[in-house]
Amino acid sequence: MAPEDHTSALPATLLIEDEQERGYGHVLPLIDGNKTYSQVTEEVFSTTERMPPLKWWLALSVSLSLLLLGAWAVTQTVTRGIGTWGLNRTVGWAFDITNFVFWVGIGHAGTLISAILFLFRQRWRTSINRAAEAMTIFAVMCAGTFPIIHMGRPWLAFWATPYPNTRGPLWVNFKSPLLWDVFAISTYFIISLTFWYLGMVPDLATMRDRAKTKVRKAIFSIFSLGWNGSNRTWSRYETVYMLLAGLSTPLVISVHTIVSMDFATSVIPGWHATIFPPYFVAGAVFSGFAMVLTLMIIARKVMDLEEYITVRHLEAMTKVIIATGMIVGMAYGTEFFMAWYSGNNFERYVFINRALGPFKWAYWSMVSCNVIIPQLFWIRKVRTTPWMIFILSIFVNIGMWFERFVIIVTSLHRDYLPSSWAMYTPTFVEVAIFLGSFGLFFTCFLIFTRLLPMIAASEVKGVLKHEEH
Amino acid sequence: MRSTDAITLTRFRASFADPHLLLEAVKRLKQEGYPIIDTYSPFPVHGMDEAIGLKPSRLPRACLAFGLLGLATALGVQIWTSAYDYPLIVGGKPLVSLPAFIPVSFELTVLFAGLGVVASLFVASGMRPKFKVPDLHPGVNDDRFVVAGEIQAGANFTVVQSLMASLGALETELLVEDKSQTDHSLLDREAKPLAFLLAAIPAVLVLAALPLLNRNYLKRNLAWDGGMMAPVAYQSFDPHPSLPGGQVLQTPPAGTVSRKGLVPLPFGPGKVEAERAGLELKNPFQPSQENFSRGKLVYDRSCAACHGLDGDNNSSVIVARGLLAPAILVAPVVRNMPDGRLFHVATFGGPQKMKGLGDLISRDDRWKVVLYIRELQRAAAPKPLPAPALSPSTGATS
Repeated sequence: MAPEDHTSALPATLLIEDEQERGYGHVLPLIDGNKTYSQVTEEVFSTTERMPPLKWWLALSVSLSLLLLGAWAVTQTVTRGIGTWGLNRTVGWAFDITNFVFWVGIGHAGTLISAILFLFRQRWRTSINRAAEAMTIFAVMCAGTFPIIHMGRPWLAFWATPYPNTRGPLWVNFKSPLLWDVFAISTYFIISLTFWYLGMVPDLATMRDRAKTKVRKAIFSIFSLGWNGSNRTWSRYETVYMLLAGLSTPLVISVHTIVSMDFATSVIPGWHATIFPPYFVAGAVFSGFAMVLTLMIIARKVMDLEEYITVRHLEAMTKVIIATGMIVGMAYGTEFFMAWYSGNNFERYVFINRALGPFKWAYWSMVSCNVIIPQLFWIRKVRTTPWMIFILSIFVNIGMWFERFVIIVTSLHRDYLPSSWAMYTPTFVEVAIFLGSFGLFFTCFLIFTRLLPMIAASEVKGVLKHEEH
Repeated sequence: MRSTDAITLTRFRASFADPHLLLEAVKRLKQEGYPIIDTYSPFPVHGMDEAIGLKPSRLPRACLAFGLLGLATALGVQIWTSAYDYPLIVGGKPLVSLPAFIPVSFELTVLFAGLGVVASLFVASGMRPKFKVPDLHPGVNDDRFVVAGEIQAGANFTVVQSLMASLGALETELLVEDKSQTDHSLLDREAKPLAFLLAAIPAVLVLAALPLLNRNYLKRNLAWDGGMMAPVAYQSFDPHPSLPGGQVLQTPPAGTVSRKGLVPLPFGPGKVEAERAGLELKNPFQPSQENFSRGKLVYDRSCAACHGLDGDNNSSVIVARGLLAPAILVAPVVRNMPDGRLFHVATFGGPQKMKGLGDLISRDDRWKVVLYIRELQRAAAPKPLPAPALSPSTGATS
């Protein structure tokens, strides 16, 4: 069975080459355990049909507690105002926008795995794409909450959309990057959700066919859209899946480009840089892959999916991390070069202040976590040992959060006028909202792993017997 | 491929455990002249489209069409709202700023193309919620690979059966056609509510567009939530809670020097003062390229939203809404006003509508705007501009 006969047409990409082509060492299989089709069905779907184990309930209770803490903090913000945050006249954006960019960036790895790796015919994506796409959707949900809370009156958030209103109508300003953001993030969310759902329809049909109770049968009958595995439908379905992948690829790049324009179109030294769009996109892929690794390493252990999410998948992702980590490192260097080369005193001061000023601890945490520590992935032993990958992925997550914090806060806290200089310290409410976003993310993710097939069974069956040929 | 004459044909289906066997069986059935209805499998079997002779899907064209629709919608909405319905000049930029419209246009292109092509797939393949799934083999979403074909009535089913068995079929069965389950028309019983819902969309859009087209800007608006009209934040000039007597504005400390180093302007608001300014004040700046470009910059930013980019109200958002029109700056009455009078209006406002902008625009810039307005008048004048009138004008327009 050769699901895709395109190995000879593999593009020379920065991403992972097919290891068979390179012929180095032994080849780690895509799916371990020499499984049959019905074994895959049984193992993937049975997790959705029985009571979750105790460790799942424990994890859910922790994330629900965090979510509740976040809900309390959001209530504080909405009822008492933005004054509950540590913002001031000089530092008007800090924790909230940092978290917004952080979560959007994490979401991008899901699209990269589901769309870009699909277009590049990287077969190893099949075991992880469903969970990675779910991660995208939940991460974008977390990201979206921050600008909405920052509005102060979140119940009026719909004012950001152009609709015929009773105020004139007063239309939104289409020349503003903040409005582009509204369109980019909502388009990204809708298309990611569509892509995720479409990819799940064949698996939902399997769930319908396996359903034992009437309610379950009815629910999955609705969502599986009468799927019967017909080749005519498969043929159109594959065309549409390919088209959606082709649409999502420029979309994901546009989204983080537009997010970076929130900063780059301003005239703040440290933000006003043409390097921002590619720099942000690379950073997004970098942080997103780290988050995928963190989640997958936990999930494969907790859900007993080690034969589906194999060391080969993890190793492939660590290579993406090295590549994007070095792009990000180069961007840090380029920023300093540009500041020096511009001859602009304000630019120069911002970057010297970034590395040596009051927030230098944040800057150097960022550089160590994002540039220095990931270099350990050059060692093959590190790339193939899950617990080492897990620790390194946590470092990258922390480093990328600090990157956004450094860009936003250090650029703002020293204004042109020394009389406007200020410092920023987050309040408990801000930290609680941030923790709450993790609560939201993990609650959604944990429920997803038990309600829906976490592995794209129909895709995994397609690559199952590839190694025999 | 499916014959319309269902009476003379009988359907059979055979299931296999492996996609290769299925592919071989389909090729063999084709050779033997059996029409293939379809094949069913847990994942797409590559090479099957060619084997049963399926043409490539036309869905990519639908995707392109929806994408272009999205692009047209985005450009249409942006250009209409920014340049026609609400032509507000932002930062002196052109009303139709195509580079600034690229991001939203791109996003809507992708959104329409993506949702449109998925909807097209659902329509083309009849994918919609179904409680009875037609042609469903119980194992097809698990590990069975199924082919369904047709044989002539009277032809021997056992021939097909043994042929399939020799190719590795697990089972081969005859199918009884069930008309109630093979109705693929869009408007069957289950699809009706969906069709009504889709048909309602244009009606809703038209109803939403009606109030938009018949608006009266002079009527007071209704809003379900006052929102920004009733802010909870501290208002400037509200009594201050922590200062004696609630007084807000405090006397500056002794010896305070203004940072701007302003020279006092010995004029006040009002018509009499305006006429005095027209007689006593002279523009300290000479017409020069530098002064004109500064004047144009300030004019485009601060004046053009009401008076229009050319001073003729043509690009004014206020005129476009049918509200009380601001003065036409290139009209003879304004043309005949002395420079000092225009400067006074810019500083303290007009007699009726205009608000003074003396707090917002620096004194030098106001004089340069006056220079620029003279330039606009010169450009619009059919004949050369007469020398500035020495007597105060009587035209009472701002």
